[in-house]
Amino acid sequence: MAVIETFNLGQEYGGRCVLRDVNLKIQRGEVFALIGPTGAGKTTLLRLLDLLEMPASGKVYFGGIDVTSSRHERLEARRRMSFVQQKPVVFTMSVYDNVACGLRWRKEKHEVIRQKVDDVLEIVAMSDCRDRNAKTLSGGETQRVAIARALTTQPEVLLLDELTANLDPVSISKIEEVLAHIIGEQKITVVMATHDMSQGQRLAGRIGVIMDGEILQVGSPNEVFTLPKNREVAEFVGVENILAGVVAEKESGLVTIDVNGSGIEAISDYEVGERVYALIRPEEITLTLSKDISSARNAFPGKIVKMALVGQLIRIEVDCGFPLLVLVTKRSAEELNLTPGKLVHASFKASAVRTIKRWH
Amino acid sequence: MDELWQGLVKAAQLIVSFDPEVVEITRRSLAISATSCSIVTLISIPLGSLIHFSRFPGKRGLVSVIQTLFSLPTVAVGLLVFVLFSRAGPLGELDIIFTPAVMVIGQVILVMPLILGLIISTLRGVDKAISETAISLGASRLQAAVITLKEARYAVVTAVIMGFGRALSEVGLALMVGGNIKGFTRTLTTAISLETSKGDIELALALGIILLLIALVINITLNRLQQR
Amino acid sequence: MLSGLVAGAIGCTAQATAPLPPRERLHVATTTSLYDTGLWGYLEPMFEEEYGVELDILYAGTGIALEYGRRGDVDVITVHSKSREEQYVAGGYGVERVPFAYNYFLLVGPENDPAGIKGMLPEEAFKRLVDTGTVSFVSRGDDSGTHGKEKAIWKSAGYDYETIQNAGGWYIEAGRGMGPTLLMASEKQGYTLADMGTFLSYKGKVDLVPIVEEGGILLNVYSVIAGNPEINPKVNYEMTSNLVSFLTSPEIQRLIGGYGTEEYGMSLFSPCAGAEPES
Repeated sequence: MAVIETFNLGQEYGGRCVLRDVNLKIQRGEVFALIGPTGAGKTTLLRLLDLLEMPASGKVYFGGIDVTSSRHERLEARRRMSFVQQKPVVFTMSVYDNVACGLRWRKEKHEVIRQKVDDVLEIVAMSDCRDRNAKTLSGGETQRVAIARALTTQPEVLLLDELTANLDPVSISKIEEVLAHIIGEQKITVVMATHDMSQGQRLAGRIGVIMDGEILQVGSPNEVFTLPKNREVAEFVGVENILAGVVAEKESGLVTIDVNGSGIEAISDYEVGERVYALIRPEEITLTLSKDISSARNAFPGKIVKMALVGQLIRIEVDCGFPLLVLVTKRSAEELNLTPGKLVHASFKASAVRTIKRWH
Repeated sequence: MDELWQGLVKAAQLIVSFDPEVVEITRRSLAISATSCSIVTLISIPLGSLIHFSRFPGKRGLVSVIQTLFSLPTVAVGLLVFVLFSRAGPLGELDIIFTPAVMVIGQVILVMPLILGLIISTLRGVDKAISETAISLGASRLQAAVITLKEARYAVVTAVIMGFGRALSEVGLALMVGGNIKGFTRTLTTAISLETSKGDIELALALGIILLLIALVINITLNRLQQR
Repeated sequence: MLSGLVAGAIGCTAQATAPLPPRERLHVATTTSLYDTGLWGYLEPMFEEEYGVELDILYAGTGIALEYGRRGDVDVITVHSKSREEQYVAGGYGVERVPFAYNYFLLVGPENDPAGIKGMLPEEAFKRLVDTGTVSFVSRGDDSGTHGKEKAIWKSAGYDYETIQNAGGWYIEAGRGMGPTLLMASEKQGYTLADMGTFLSYKGKVDLVPIVEEGGILLNVYSVIAGNPEINPKVNYEMTSNLVSFLTSPEIQRLIGGYGTEEYGMSLFSPCAGAEPES
């Protein structure tokens, strides 16, 4: 059952359209990640889902009821959700009091509050900071308090906005640990916004890619990750090799795609003559100095055009008659003594190639 | 310089000996100002919150007007209140002219814009995220307003103390509507005015020094609070 | 913390202000000379004790006192401007004009008498001041009884008052009470018209001496006028009548006549028990 559903949701700020035609169905109990670059409209969409703002157009349904306009309905529905902001704001009081706020506003009894708050502080691993002034906490600790605060009211839906955007790697993993724990323990629906693709992959059951105010693709992490529906999504999820071609041959589940004269083999259902893209993730391509006689069905000789350092990896552009972008570890590059101009062989399995109908 | 020194000496004498008349007018000054400020604060906190959190046409204009009234000339307010409450005036039936009660009313009018305006300012200074967070946690609008006020609590107290300082040190209003009656409506400021015009500079200086000491205590308290 | 402040304020107020006073209050507006001489301070406690009321004495000039009386903001006025008092009573604001004390005005100035007017009659002296045009004269300038007397002297000397106001920088309108005006004249080493009572009580504080003391026009009569309850129903007529009787009672009259002898060597006022004194 869809706990939140939107119909043609749109939003405007100062005449500028920031969100349009959003149709989402968030299923009860799922973890849905909303990913997209900064400024795509993730926060706006989350705020609309949390009923914090009125949409410029479209409708929002919560638990099957239209809650778009009625103030009373919105307040009721909002009470069943919790929102954790990107830079959460804590009140000038102890951690305990911060977390207890929501319950106190609901006029819960003392003992009940104490039990719930202590429980939730345990879940977010902040029990020993119980009496500290919340304003003195670090970024990661503040986030955890915010999560705790959001959980005390036992919401049906937890909305998280860029939870780890401003944190160091240690804090990020701590928080993801906490999140995983929450997701595992409680029957809670989670909608999280993030620009970190891999975080979405790690935690979510479904991903929605949003760019420029529009939802471009919704699907399982795997689908989105390997079968992007269009170029923008493809680029965002890191599928850097988008090769235009035509299916030339087909034989029991295996096709050969003609890309600029070269034949790329892939596992696919497309028929001969269909115009397709061959999508290959850069990390699935291996570079060798001599022709690698391996199981890889695709092997192409080429020349290294460009090399660039990306974190601990090297991004190499190889010209094989068609451009290929490859990601190798620094180590491999050093071992093979790769330099621009060098002749190499790029190989990848047929299973690494995804095919998708041409969108142009 | 000699005069100033004499004044200081006299001030010390009056304070140390707890001169009854000085004690009386000091107490009256403090009482009248404290009363008027309490009334203004009790009204301004909810009213200021209401104005800040509501949206209505002309809101900016209203806040502008309030801020303009910050430094209402005390004699102008004094004249207005006198004309209103004089036995010949519209509210003359109440028969409170030349009593401390009408002085309190006058000070309330004088100080209300200041404290109200400052409270609205302090609320504006609180990150909007506070009330939004509260609302997203299920707070009603009233509860969200209360927690915003709590976040601004030191600034609010500062505003009240500033209003108190203004009320305490004004003389035009107190003189006009109180009549500076010995033993009944005489305050530190009206006494200073009288003694100066009568030529008892020494006494006037002494009273002035006492008033300054009180102002000093107020300002020190203000500073401590602002440092929090 | 706020509640503590409020509680403290209410406590203080209850003590110090008593909005509903246990005793009755009578508002009296008095001309400044009766206040600055300390006469009212002397008589007030006596009246309060005898009649069990609180007297609220407001320090005002005759002009303001009359206005307060007209508005009904005060119950009784004690002033010294015969013509205006008679108008006031004629207008129905006051019950009756009852003189109760008198003394004389003096033209006082610096000991060296720069304008050379010592011993002249008031009108002559004023003329000399205009002709000289360089020595300061400080006028009350506040519509008080003294101011009224000053204007009367100018008129008697043949001058239009407006001309005098614009006569030059030597003519200064102080706009304040008798005591403060004397202080100003002393500072400027100029002349001023003062009632004898206030002048004597300020003797040690000012550097001035009597210059012109003779002249019928200098008679200064203080009257007490009770507010008319018909025009101002708020006026406590019974108590104001008591005050009038008090001031004209033989014992108080005697005390008024003797007021100041101990301190200043001569009495500041002469009693006149309700009758207009001879010039």
